[in-house]
Amino acid sequence: MAKTSWADEVDENELPSPEVISNPDGSRTLIEYRLNEDGKKVKSTRRIKNKVVQEHVNRAVAERKKWAKFGAERGAAPGPNISTTTVGEVILLRLSQYAAQQKQQEIEAQQQKEQEKTLAAKSSRILCRNCRGEHFTARCPYKDTLVPLEEITGASSAANAEPGTSQAEGDKGANSYVPPHMRAGAKAVDSMHERRDENPTIRITNLSENTQDDDVKQLCRSFGPIARAYVAIDRMTQLCKGFAFVSFYDHDSATEAIAKLNGHGFDHLILNVEWANSGGK
Amino acid sequence: MRPILLQGHTRPLTQIKYNSDGDLLMTVAKDTVANLWYSHNGERVGTYEGHQGALWTIDCNKPSTLVITGAADNTARLWHAETGRQLHVWEFPTAVKRVEFSHDDRYVLMVTEERMGHKSAIYVFPVDNSTPEQSNEPIVVLRPSPSKATMAAWSYLDKYIVAGHDDGSLTLYDWKYEEVVRQAQAHDGTITDLQMWKDGTYFITSSKDKTARLFETNTLNPLKMYKADTGVNTATMTPTQDLVILGGGQAASEVTTTSSRQGKFESRFYHKVFEDEVGRLKGHFGPINTLAMQPDGKGFASGGEDGYVRVHHFDPDYFKFKYDY
Repeated sequence: MAKTSWADEVDENELPSPEVISNPDGSRTLIEYRLNEDGKKVKSTRRIKNKVVQEHVNRAVAERKKWAKFGAERGAAPGPNISTTTVGEVILLRLSQYAAQQKQQEIEAQQQKEQEKTLAAKSSRILCRNCRGEHFTARCPYKDTLVPLEEITGASSAANAEPGTSQAEGDKGANSYVPPHMRAGAKAVDSMHERRDENPTIRITNLSENTQDDDVKQLCRSFGPIARAYVAIDRMTQLCKGFAFVSFYDHDSATEAIAKLNGHGFDHLILNVEWANSGGK
Repeated sequence: MRPILLQGHTRPLTQIKYNSDGDLLMTVAKDTVANLWYSHNGERVGTYEGHQGALWTIDCNKPSTLVITGAADNTARLWHAETGRQLHVWEFPTAVKRVEFSHDDRYVLMVTEERMGHKSAIYVFPVDNSTPEQSNEPIVVLRPSPSKATMAAWSYLDKYIVAGHDDGSLTLYDWKYEEVVRQAQAHDGTITDLQMWKDGTYFITSSKDKTARLFETNTLNPLKMYKADTGVNTATMTPTQDLVILGGGQAASEVTTTSSRQGKFESRFYHKVFEDEVGRLKGHFGPINTLAMQPDGKGFASGGEDGYVRVHHFDPDYFKFKYDY
């Protein structure tokens, strides 16, 4: 038998006895020591506060609470046993009238994303730089015999580039990046932005967190046709951040909405409504 | 909310049930013991040991003094609820798939499986509360046809027995006269669960045809239908809010043959009247086999193929939920 140092012996065999400290606020601090799977000593400190909740139950239920344990639990101490009873993670049950619709929309969005992905995968095929074949350049069978194509074409295009730069850009065509504002049809996008900005827009603040797009639309519909309603949603919690923007087609309806809705009570909160851009269009 | 996880079983759950006061929770699974728990804190009170095969079903009487279990060892057993002592054994030619006490606790119905040339049957036995000795002579034996019975329940005043069949049909028996009052085709698939409303005037059925439906007991008229996108193993009704809860999910054998995205192992909440889905609650990592509602409506428990029972006590938000119409 190997001789062990006296210091180790003490360490391994003696775990400090658990301590219970009563805190001034009525809670207790429990300090326990145990050995974990690797044989290392673990100190666990728990602060426990007992809260007595009184519950009125009928006599039969109270009698049953005193039942002695039987079967596999015979002789077990009262209270839940950790080996059979644990507390799960917090889960949220959000009941909503529109749950099914939302779920459907989510599924559709996901399907669309997947479709786009497969399309993208199809369009980006592998192209060899040497022979333009459908394999990686490193695997090209003509690797040693052919000079990379780019070295030839690149040199010639560089020569062309001197007199007219625009020509070179046109040459690159679909392969090179074109910023959105320079793409064909960019004008249309711009004009759409402008039009959106032209619409008289109001800002609604102090909304409750359960507010949804439809609620705001419903609220504002009575003042006139709505071009757009946007409710800011927190991406993590999926709850409303407390403000929304509503664009009307008509300036008068926006003005009326501000007049009527400012100070209006909605879902237990008083709304604050004003022009979205401080100028007040 | 924070669910309580009960790990008393090593195999998939088959049925869970609250007693009538809602303070006790009984669970059975495909292992050989039945467990009894306190529902408020998940403390295990004890186990009923003695069966030799998978347990399919459990029920207790109104005062929670007697417990009956049915199992695949071709027996149903009567237990003293408080001590776990076995009081009586009924023997059958095949497995017992469902037991249920009548509303007055004087009778118990037992549905047996169709197997080895034996036809499925619904037995009604008398139960005597005062003595441990019980009669082995059934009062009535109903022979479901053409398809075997999978589920059965007592109607209001114990007047009828409603049986759900393997082919998706329902039968209403005037059991005292061994008479079929009415038959109706309810589902396109096996009926997997049948739970009565507390007064026995209507009930909910769930089926492998991906729907759960509400029927009136007297006429077997379909009242409502709740559509899911997966087979429904169980359905229950909430006593306080007008909701129903459906549990299901793809069977383990089908998971690999379909998209791996979701197993759909959530409990789904539907509005009872408007049939719209209003929410989902995740948690299980296998299909949900059985759901039970606490009789006061303040919580529910679900048992899954994963061997776990999850006991939920609703948050205050749940009770504030209102459906606009």
